[in-house]
Parts: sequence; C-alpha cells; structure tokens
Amino acid sequence: MTFRSKLFVVFALALLVSVGLIAAGVTVVTRRAFAELNRQHTDALVAQFQREFERQEAEVAHRVQAIADGEGTVRMAIALSQPQADVSTYVNDARGVAQSHQLDFLDFDGSDGAIISSAEWPARFGYKITWVTQPQDWAALGSFLTKVDTQDGPALGLMAVSTVRVGDNDLYVVGGQRLGKEFLGSLVLPAGMRALLYLNMDPAFQAANLLDPSGPVADADRFAPIINQEREHPGEQTFKISWTADAASAEMFHALPLMGRQNDLLGVLLVGSSQHDAVTLERRILLLALAVVGMGLLFGVLLSWWVAARVTRPVRKLAEGARKVSQGNWGARVDVRGSNEIGQLARAFNRMTGQLTEQRERLIQAERVAAWRELARRLAHELKNPLFPLQTTVENLQRAKESNSGQFEEVFRESTGILLSEIENLKSITGRFSDFAKMPQPELASVNLNDVVRGAVKVFEAQFNAVGRPPITPELHLDENLPVIQADAALLHRAIENLILNAMDAMPAGGVLMLRTTREAGEVHLEISDTGAGLTSEECERLFTPYYTTKQHGTGLGLAIVQSVVSDHGGRISVESEASVGTTFHIHLPAKPPPMTIPISAPAAAPHDREGA
Amino acid sequence: MKPRSFLFLVVTSIVFAATAPLESARRPHYGGALRVEIGAVVHSLDPAVASSNSEEAAAKQQIDALIYDHRNSDGTFAGTAGSGPFRIAEWEPAQRVVLAANGDYRGGRPFLDSVEIQMGRAPHDRVLDLALGKADFAEIPPEQARHAAESGVRVSTSQPDELLALVFLPGRPMAEDVRVRQALARSLDRGAIVNFLLQKEGEPAGGLLPQWSSGTAFLFSTAADAPGAKALASQIAHPPKILLGYDSADGLEQTVAERIIVDAQEAGIGITLAAQAAPGGAPGNSSAAAASVDAMLIRWHMPSPNPRDALATFLKVYGPVAGLDPAPLPDAASPEQRYVRESAVVSGNRIIPLVWLPQVYGLSARVRDWKTPAPGDGWPLADVWLEGDAP
Repeated sequence: MTFRSKLFVVFALALLVSVGLIAAGVTVVTRRAFAELNRQHTDALVAQFQREFERQEAEVAHRVQAIADGEGTVRMAIALSQPQADVSTYVNDARGVAQSHQLDFLDFDGSDGAIISSAEWPARFGYKITWVTQPQDWAALGSFLTKVDTQDGPALGLMAVSTVRVGDNDLYVVGGQRLGKEFLGSLVLPAGMRALLYLNMDPAFQAANLLDPSGPVADADRFAPIINQEREHPGEQTFKISWTADAASAEMFHALPLMGRQNDLLGVLLVGSSQHDAVTLERRILLLALAVVGMGLLFGVLLSWWVAARVTRPVRKLAEGARKVSQGNWGARVDVRGSNEIGQLARAFNRMTGQLTEQRERLIQAERVAAWRELARRLAHELKNPLFPLQTTVENLQRAKESNSGQFEEVFRESTGILLSEIENLKSITGRFSDFAKMPQPELASVNLNDVVRGAVKVFEAQFNAVGRPPITPELHLDENLPVIQADAALLHRAIENLILNAMDAMPAGGVLMLRTTREAGEVHLEISDTGAGLTSEECERLFTPYYTTKQHGTGLGLAIVQSVVSDHGGRISVESEASVGTTFHIHLPAKPPPMTIPISAPAAAPHDREGA
Repeated sequence: MKPRSFLFLVVTSIVFAATAPLESARRPHYGGALRVEIGAVVHSLDPAVASSNSEEAAAKQQIDALIYDHRNSDGTFAGTAGSGPFRIAEWEPAQRVVLAANGDYRGGRPFLDSVEIQMGRAPHDRVLDLALGKADFAEIPPEQARHAAESGVRVSTSQPDELLALVFLPGRPMAEDVRVRQALARSLDRGAIVNFLLQKEGEPAGGLLPQWSSGTAFLFSTAADAPGAKALASQIAHPPKILLGYDSADGLEQTVAERIIVDAQEAGIGITLAAQAAPGGAPGNSSAAAASVDAMLIRWHMPSPNPRDALATFLKVYGPVAGLDPAPLPDAASPEQRYVRESAVVSGNRIIPLVWLPQVYGLSARVRDWKTPAPGDGWPLADVWLEGDAP
C-alpha cells in the first residue's frame, strides 16, 4: 500500500469515526432526551392520576356524607331504629339515591352490617358486610380503595363510609365510585401515552382484568409477568414491552400499585408511553448520520485523495529519485520546494546524489587509471615472457651468424622454431585479450542446459583420462525434467568449458568433477564441483575480478568471462569452497531472462593479473 | 208540635237530605266507561289465530271472557263473539279495544256502558295512571303493589295462584347432578324473595300447590339451609356453574334470578344468567327456547282452584319440560295420592318452587262491586259499576 493510500485510509477512517461518533452522540443524547421526556410525561400523568384520585376521594366522601345527612336517610335510620322495623320498604332505595348523587356504588347497611339496600347489587339485600361494622373512624379515614362485590363480579371502588346513628342503632351509608375504564377515560393523556388499570380481584393474573378506557386490553397476557411481580412485591417500577419485532412498537410502562385500606394490593395503574416517536426520530438521525457519513466519505475520499496527493507528492518525488539512484542514475535530482521537513529531505537527497555522482566520477577515474595500470602490467608481464626467449634466440642467431660456424644452419632452424613458437604464444595472449574485449551479446534461443553440459563434458573426455596425468572422473547428475531456458548455447558452452578447465587445473592429482542440474522456482541451477585443494575466503571474494588469477600462466579472464556470460543471461554466479575438500560454483539462470539491458559503463576492461582457480 | 219535636224533625230532614245523594251514589247504576290498561298486546281477537306469547294469550282470554257467553269445560269459549256481557265496539289491533255493553246478554245488561282496554302499557305507567285517575282498572305486578298502595291506588289482591319456580332441563350436566339440584334448592332464601322483592305480596312456595288450595303446602319446607347447601356443593369435584334462563321481558323473573345468584354464590354455586325472549304459545315451548340453559325460571297460573286439576295440569305442562315421570295423575286421585305425587316431584328438585304470587289489581276510587276472580275465572266486569256515572 502506498503512502498516499495509507494517508487516504487514515483520513477516511478519521472522518468515518468522527461522523460515527457524532451520530452516536446525537443518538444517545436524543435517546436520553426522549427518556427524560417520557419520564416527565409519566410523572405528570401519575401526578394527574393522583390529583384526580384525590379529587374523587374528596368528592366521594362529600357525596356519601351528603347522602347520610339527607332527610330520606335520616328518616330511614329513625324508622329502622324502631322495634320490628320493616327493612323491606327500603330495598330499592339505594339505586335511586346513588343515581341522584352520581355514585356507582351505594349500600345502606344496618347495625349488624346487613345490606338493607344496594345500588350495585340490589338482590344482595340481607347479606352482611362485616368490615363496615368494625371499629373505625370512617369520617377521619375519608375515602379509600376497596374491592366491591357487584352483580357482575368484583370491582374496584373508591369508597367512603358515613354513619347515621339513631339511639343505639347505626345506619351505614357505604358509597363510592367505580375505578375502572371510566376513570381511565377521565385522565387527559398526551399523544403517544395511555393508561391501563389492572384490577387485582382474583387469586391469579386474569387478562380480562386489565382495562383501558375502551374495556379489556388486547394481548393482556404480555403484562402478566409485571402484574405478578407487583402482586408479590408492590412498588413503582418501569418496564418495556415490545409488541412486535419492530423496535418502534415498544412501549415503556410505569407501574403504580394501588393499595387498599389494609395495605392490600387492589390494582395497578400502568402508564404507558409509546417508543414510536423516539425510535422513529432515532432512525431518522441514524439515516441522516449515514447520509452524512456517505456524503462525508465521498467528500472525504475526494478531499483526502487530493490532500494525500499534495502531501505525498514530494515524498513520491523523493521515492522516484531514490528509485532512479537504485537503477544507477546517480545524477537524479528531486524538484521539491519548501522549507518543511520534506523540503529539507529533498535538498539533502539532492546533495547526496550530487556527492555520489562526484565520488563515482572520481572512483571511475581512479579505477580506470588503476585498470590501465594493471592492464599495462599484465601486458608487460605476458609479453615479457615470450619476448625474453625471442630476444635470446635472436641474439643466439646473431652470434651464430657472426661466428660463422657450421652450426648456423642448425641454430637457425632451432631459433626460427623457437621464434615461431613464441610468436604463436604472443598471438595466443593477444587473442585471449581480444576475445574478452569482444564478448558478444547473447542470442537467445530455447536451450536445454543438460545438453550444453553434456556437450562441454564431451569436449574434455580425452583429457580426463589423458596419459601421463592422474585421471579425473566426471559425474553428471542432471535433472531430466529441467525446463527449457532462453539462452545462448554457445556462450553457455564457453562458460562451462572455462569452469571445467578451472576444475581440472584445481585437481592436478586427479579427482572427481561433479556437474549437477536442478530446477528451482522460475530458474535452473547448475552446480560444478571439484575435489581440489580449495580456495581461501579472500580468493573467493576476488575470484571474478578480471585479470585476477592464482595460476602461473593464467590471464585472469576465464571466470570474468563466465561471470559476464551469466550476467548477460540475467543469472547469477557464486562460489563456495572449503580447504582440502574442494570448490563448487553455483550458476542460477532464469528460465526466461529479463529484457536485455545495456549495462552501464564500467571499467570492464580494467585488467587484473589473476584468474579464478 | 213541640219545639223539641220540630227540632228533631228539622234535624232528621237535614240528615236525610244530606245522606240521600250518598246512598243513591252507592247504589249500582248503569253507565260509564271503564278504562282498563293492560301490559299485553293483542294482535287478533280471532279465536283461530294463535297468540304470539303467553301474556297475549292470557289477555286475549280475559277479553274473550267478556265477549263470549260462557266457557266450555275444555277452556274454549261458547257462543259467538258478542254473546257475552259485552260486544266489540272498536278494535285497533295491538292498541286498544272498546267493548260496549250487551243489552241482550242472558245474564242481564252489565252496569257499565263500555269497557275501553288500552294495550301495551308498562307496569309503572299503569300504576301512575291509576294514581292520576287516568285509568280505572289495571293488573299490577305483585312487587309493585305496595308502591301502588302507597301512591293511593286501591289494590285488590287475589289468593296466591301463580307459581314462580325454577325448572332444571333434562340432559344438561348440571341438571343431572342431584347434588347440584339439592344444593341450589337448599341455598334459596324464599323468605327474602317474598319480603324484599315482592314486598310481602306472596308466599314462599315449597310445593306445587298453594296452601289455600291443597292444604298440604305447609308440609314442604321453604326455609333456606345455607350451610347444608354449602356442604353439598363442596362435595362436588368441580364448582358447579349453572346457566339460568329467564324471560327477558319479565322484570320480576330477572330480580328473582339475580337473588338466586346471591344465594347460590354463598353456597359456592356459580350461576350465570341468560336473558331469553318470552316463550310463545304453550309453556312447554319454552324448553325449546331454553335448550341452551341448564335451568330456567317459569311462572305458572293455576288454571283451577281444584288442587287435583291444578296439579294434573302442571304435570302435564311442565313434566316433559323437567323430564319428570310422564304418568298422568289419576282422575280420582285422593288427596294423599296427590300429595305423594307432588312430594315426589318436589323431592327430586328438578322443579324447585320458589314463591306463590297473587294477582294484584289496581282500581280507581270510583270502581264499585269489584270481586277478585278465582283462578281460571275472567274479570267480573259485568258486575262492576262506576261511582259518579249516574244514568
């Protein structure tokens, strides 16, 4: 990944994280705001319920007291205080009185608690209400919640009791309002909120006892756990119900227990607030955030791409300059302006390349001089050896002529023979130098390296077992599955011949010459080993230097030629050697050599006086 | 003439003069129109047209008793319409009928010139009209008799001759469990029904015949036994739940049914009410209407003061409804046989007598010589005359 791409990714991630954090923050803040709003609405509704409850408490107490103080009730009390009073006369009175005082429940109970007349259950006359006769300051108690038995089953009533006392007889007036769907209907609810009332009239949860202003609530069973929890541990609590998989369908409910006179749980008020608006708004915020993220990302991509391009342009120029330097263009320069770190780096880079160029020029000059000196020394050395016999032979020939002896002819023949031999030697020396100078570019064709190896070995078969010298045993370990490579067979043949010659020279006492070919990833490997005396590490390092030789009569060009051939094929050559064990050359050639490049000018002609072992 | 004798003569003359109009007013005389209000709606006076319900049939029977000469032994009326004390003068189906006095009536012309019967009047309206003098004669529900009397209405009450009873229908699981029937029978507080709901107009019913008719009704217990009922109900594996039907048009049946709920609930028996449309035709047809209930309330008018005839008729009508022994009561059944049969029916608790209801009539102050009819008899309007309507 490029620096620009990395920079772009960093910019994009930073933007994404920033927008995501902002969206999450807005969502959290919104959610909290809605939760707070819901809490306030719920508190307001609970307060409204409590106010309405207190108002109805006072109203019920007032109405019941008004009934007790009414003339009809007082007359009834007086009549019932008489011996043999006929209570049946009043059996239908409660209903009318209840209607006139707008009460849902009204009982006239005798001193023993027996119902004289009941508005909510007229047929229940005669049965005793025991709790009403218990000692209790009903006036001080005011209104209270209690379970009221009606013809249609138990109901929850906000009741008050008032007593009319005549002599020793009490007439109890028990009246009240039903706490049910009508009461819920009287509550003013904000949009999205609703109030439910569970009437705790049965030993277990009953779905039909959960009411809203229109009657029993649908899916009331969903409330069973919370109602059961309230039944076990009455107290205010909040819970959420998700009606469908859609989170917008959820409702938050606040449960308010309704306790009776004896601290028994008679009902539970449930104030519910829909999460629809909150979830919808949250989703809109999320969608908006996603849109902003998308837009931001798009904008960020463009901006960060542009910014990254601007920021990385000097760096890319520096990288390009470095790449050119690595490719040998030491004169590469970077055009970066500015006084920041990148500019300073560019200027330092330019100074460095300038210094490198100068140093290279100086080095080239120095090496060139050294090479010419070495070449001159080698030429002088090589030429001096044949020149001395030439000089001696010519001087012998001159002395023989001046002495005019009869041996002149014989001396002449021997001298001319020696002269011709040494001239031939000189021609050989100049030929080798000429060959090295004229190393041709390889002409690539499909070549089987094994065939080249076999051909080269075949050339030396006669010399391996030549009379008068210890035998050399060639061993070929050739991989028959070796791939065909693109190479110049003649040049390779010449390089392998040089290596075989070196190996033979390294084994004057005979030995084993091993040639091995193997295939490796994308290239072939040729290994040529001898069992000679081996080389020192210093010799190994200088082995491929032109004109370096360890032989008495070597030109130092053999391994330089080998290295040149291998290099021209895009391969590489290395040597490893161990004293008293032998030396091994490794040649790695690519199956498909890289495009031919013209090697940069180098002191290729710089002569050395030694050739590889 | 001595002054003392003169004074006596003057005083006597003044007293005679003052009392003479009063005595003449108390003498029966012809004339006047009797305004009658009934609750039923009669759609046809044709004997061939069946009445739509029992209330209409009873009202039609009363009108027939006024326009036909006499009744046959089978209950049908003899002669032609108009052979009775009155003839039909005006007829507006389902609204009113005006009967004019029949001068040719073999029993003699009735005192009244006419009888105007207004149909479809609610009980409360009838009492109100009587109190306001807008009506002269009307049937009043027994439970409103006390209120009517307190409103100044003259009230005439017959012997209790109408039985209000609870009948279990055969084949229903609740009806076939004798413990359920016994528990319910024991739980009922008949005294409370009479004293409170009927405002003391009526009698608790333990048997199928009233005491005044059979003389043996006192042998049947009418007392409530709430603990016994509770003990019986507790023996039943599953708390009994009874679906009780009642005539939705009958306010008394509804209030009695509601009281039955209270009593039964105390005993641990659940009862649910099922209001049903008034059964039409014969009482036996009510079983079809009540096929979906376990029990139903019935009201039965004694067709005759004769206890044997009344019991035979009751068994004939309600025996099949309750799934009782279909054997008829012998014509020559002795009082002992009648009691045994009655006791057998009652002890099975398939029919639970509740209360005996009287027929209560409201009369205006000007109605004279009204005699409360016996069971099976029609209104004796031929003998009634109106005070203040001198010829």
